[in-house]
Amino acid sequence: MKHTFNPFSATVTWLIATVLCIAAAHAEYPERPLSLSVAYSPGGATDFQARIVTMVAANEEYLGQPIVILNKPGSGGRVGWNHFASKAKTDGYELAAYNVPHFIAQSIKFNTKYSINNMEPIANWGADPAVLVVAKNSPYNSVQELVNYAKKNPGKVTVSGAGLYVGHHIAFLQIQRETGVKLTYVPHKGGAPALTSVLGGQVIAGVNNLSDAYRSRDNLKILAIADNARNTEFLPDIPTFQEQGFAVDDSSVNFRGIMVRAGTPTEVIDKLAAAVPKMFNNKRVRKQMRQGGSPLRIMTRDEVRAMWNKRQAFLTDLLQGL
Amino acid sequence: MEFLHFFGNVLAPDNFAILVFGTVAGLLFGAIPGLSPTMTVALLIPFTFHMHAIGGLILLGAAYTSTVAGGAVSAILLKIPGAPANIATALDGHEMAKKQQATTALHLCFISSAIGGVLGVFVLIFCSPLLATVALDFGPSQLFWVAILGVTVIATLDSSSTVKGLMSGVLGLWLSTIGYDDIQGVERFIFSEHLQSGIHIIPALIGLFAIPQILDMLGDGLADRKREIIQGTRQSIGHSLRLCLGRGKSLGIGSIVGIIIGLIPGAGGQIAGLVSWDQARKMSKHPEKFGTGEPDGLIAAESANNAMVGPSLVPLLTLSVPGSPTAAVLLGGLLIHGIFPGPNLFRDHAEVAWTFVDSLLVGQLLMVIFGIALSGVAAKVLKIPKLYLAPAITVLAVFGTYSVQHSYSDVIVMFALGLAMWLLERMGLRSAPLVLGLVLGGIAETNFVQGAIIAGANDGMARYFLSGGLNISLIALCAASILYSVWSQRRARAANKPTIRAAAIEFSPRTIARRLIQNKPIFILIGLAVGISWASFQGAGSAYIFPKLLAVLLLLTALPELLLTLFATDRAPRSIDKHKIRQLFPGLIGLGIYIFVAEAAGFYAAAAALMAALIFYYAHRLAALTRRKIIAHMLFIAGFLGILYALFSVVLQVQTPTGWLL
Repeated sequence: MKHTFNPFSATVTWLIATVLCIAAAHAEYPERPLSLSVAYSPGGATDFQARIVTMVAANEEYLGQPIVILNKPGSGGRVGWNHFASKAKTDGYELAAYNVPHFIAQSIKFNTKYSINNMEPIANWGADPAVLVVAKNSPYNSVQELVNYAKKNPGKVTVSGAGLYVGHHIAFLQIQRETGVKLTYVPHKGGAPALTSVLGGQVIAGVNNLSDAYRSRDNLKILAIADNARNTEFLPDIPTFQEQGFAVDDSSVNFRGIMVRAGTPTEVIDKLAAAVPKMFNNKRVRKQMRQGGSPLRIMTRDEVRAMWNKRQAFLTDLLQGL
Repeated sequence: MEFLHFFGNVLAPDNFAILVFGTVAGLLFGAIPGLSPTMTVALLIPFTFHMHAIGGLILLGAAYTSTVAGGAVSAILLKIPGAPANIATALDGHEMAKKQQATTALHLCFISSAIGGVLGVFVLIFCSPLLATVALDFGPSQLFWVAILGVTVIATLDSSSTVKGLMSGVLGLWLSTIGYDDIQGVERFIFSEHLQSGIHIIPALIGLFAIPQILDMLGDGLADRKREIIQGTRQSIGHSLRLCLGRGKSLGIGSIVGIIIGLIPGAGGQIAGLVSWDQARKMSKHPEKFGTGEPDGLIAAESANNAMVGPSLVPLLTLSVPGSPTAAVLLGGLLIHGIFPGPNLFRDHAEVAWTFVDSLLVGQLLMVIFGIALSGVAAKVLKIPKLYLAPAITVLAVFGTYSVQHSYSDVIVMFALGLAMWLLERMGLRSAPLVLGLVLGGIAETNFVQGAIIAGANDGMARYFLSGGLNISLIALCAASILYSVWSQRRARAANKPTIRAAAIEFSPRTIARRLIQNKPIFILIGLAVGISWASFQGAGSAYIFPKLLAVLLLLTALPELLLTLFATDRAPRSIDKHKIRQLFPGLIGLGIYIFVAEAAGFYAAAAALMAALIFYYAHRLAALTRRKIIAHMLFIAGFLGILYALFSVVLQVQTPTGWLL
């Protein structure tokens, strides 16, 4: 038999090869594990919650691939987010966890590589409102009583919180603005030492996470929640600031969710935006979050986008001249 | 005595298996530079997702207990402390290893760790509620004085001269101000993007201790010095046990100091070892032996490290506020199972809580058994030829550093600090006081600033920092510590008087010039002090007061050094041995290229290339390469990288940069 060049079979071979290549390139996303960059240390609240809400990612009904947590802590989150905004690939395999208002406040206050304009939200999983707390043996039983004392003694009321330009600090600034009294903010390295300083009587009051205050509720008096509504799941009896006559809204609530870099293909974003909220709603995820005392608040991509824009405007105004 | 009731749970087969696994894993991980107790516990948390609550907690508790002791292994054998807690262990432990007593040192370390650890857990069991209120009494002013108490130790730590010790410490304190400070909301001294998050203590520890040793080994051409074969030294367990129990005083000092410091939230663990080492030295009849391989130093340091574990959990278990970073991570492990620590923990979850506490007790016992069993094998690390040891430690340092926060900037900072430390060591500066400064700087400054804010809202600084029983007691301790150091220096100087001033000072422009040329490193030191001062005085505002103060201190300590050089009588020239530099140079270039390309090229490929380059280059210098040797070298590289891959990529799931290759 003589080998001759057969144009027909060559064309067929070429066609088959091309189709195979295209099929391979268009294989269903995601076809390998995804990573989620967390800008805080392992064991912290954000890391802990990120691990819970992504633990069922590999189920076929969600992404069909696991999500691996990558911790890149430092500078209150800026190291991780700067790295993500400049180095992460936009192929949909590299995700990051956001913390609002932290990352928005930082992008306003400092020269960061990230802002709400070069990030694309996917979905929100949690919302941990700030609460105002005093020690159990404190003479103050309501926000008004504390405000009355502060009116007579401007600057003498010390309030602890975790660091500068984080949710606690934003809540403090709001409380100060809406009550019209001068308070003194004492920043700490994280929420735990800030709460310890309230328990130990080092400071008169503290702004802290609802979830952490809830666990220490036997040693504390929780005066108010800085949110638009009460928390029916954990602290149904604690009133909001608004109920007590102070116009403090949910601007300081610590929202946690997942984002990708702008420039990620639309079809990838759509796929994630559809699958991820369903994943957050998984029964096991809900149970674990509830057990851990972490309030769940699932928001879709569009809702997060609207929330980001609202925070951006509010924080730009609040932090002006600070 | 409720805790006795739940011992059966710990010994149940499945729980006991978890306890054994956690203990062994903790010992192994703890021995790897970079894997601090906090890191190890954090890395194990995802494993507990799929366990029942008791099992998960036992795993975390066992890992916490044994990583603290495991960190001593690399401190003793390689002089690379696994965590800040093990710095003091390295001081005497490594000297013992150099005297061929590595196995004994390891035995002592595990025995004293277990004794301190058990005492610490008993404190947790019997005194928790009482001590929780004591822990809460430590506010910013008290913590500031605790940090200052640590600072008073710096000058006399591991240095022949107080001035040099002080200089090392001040340098460390200044380095701690680099990066973003979330208390003051400022960014300081970010000369390069890599310094954005400041200098993380674990990478610094690796760089400052490991890199200078690697460079020294390269300077020796990776040739092994003649090994003195020891004969007749008994290294049996019985001998170690008798030796350890015979040093009751050091055990007592270590355990008590460890328990007290463990209770103090925030400051705790990192300085327990050093403070008790220093206390044991001050109370010893022969303080001069500390730092030269004195078992008492090792025992005090290690018993303190593990004694701290139990009390450090008191604030977490009774008040639900974690007092240390490791406790914070443990909190996550509790929460995942719906267990909220707090006053009712032992009532609502008695079984889980008491089983956990009991497992800490049994864990100490297992740690000592497995630790001693592994000691003999571990000590063999010292028998590894430098030809293999130096490249292996280099690669391990890079992997360990990277895994701390997935940051290549940390690797660069680690290497840069190590290079600088190697130069500073030529001038008599030491890494231990420098690292202590780095640890204490942040604690001192943060608490000072917080205290100043609180004081400003109340009765002023003097009242806030200087009144109250606890403040005054701490200040008295600081004063006593300083006075003791001064007094003991005087005593030592009086004893040494005849040997000093043997010759008259020759003082002419020519001799001065000669001395300066002979002591070139002095210029680096002066340059460093001037550079740091320049940088510090560029900044304005209250955030720069602390750095400025330190810069002035550094200049003040560098000045006498310059004078000493100019007017010294008969000091041996301290310039660096030219032959060593010639041997070091190719290796240093290799290390530089490695650090430069590892992220882009991929960690494993770069590591393989570096190891091959170093091993073949230096092996060739030592002796002609035979085919058998080449195969042996290749096998070592492949084997080492295989273990590295299994450990970091498979077990710990560290996502190393893959780059072009792997």
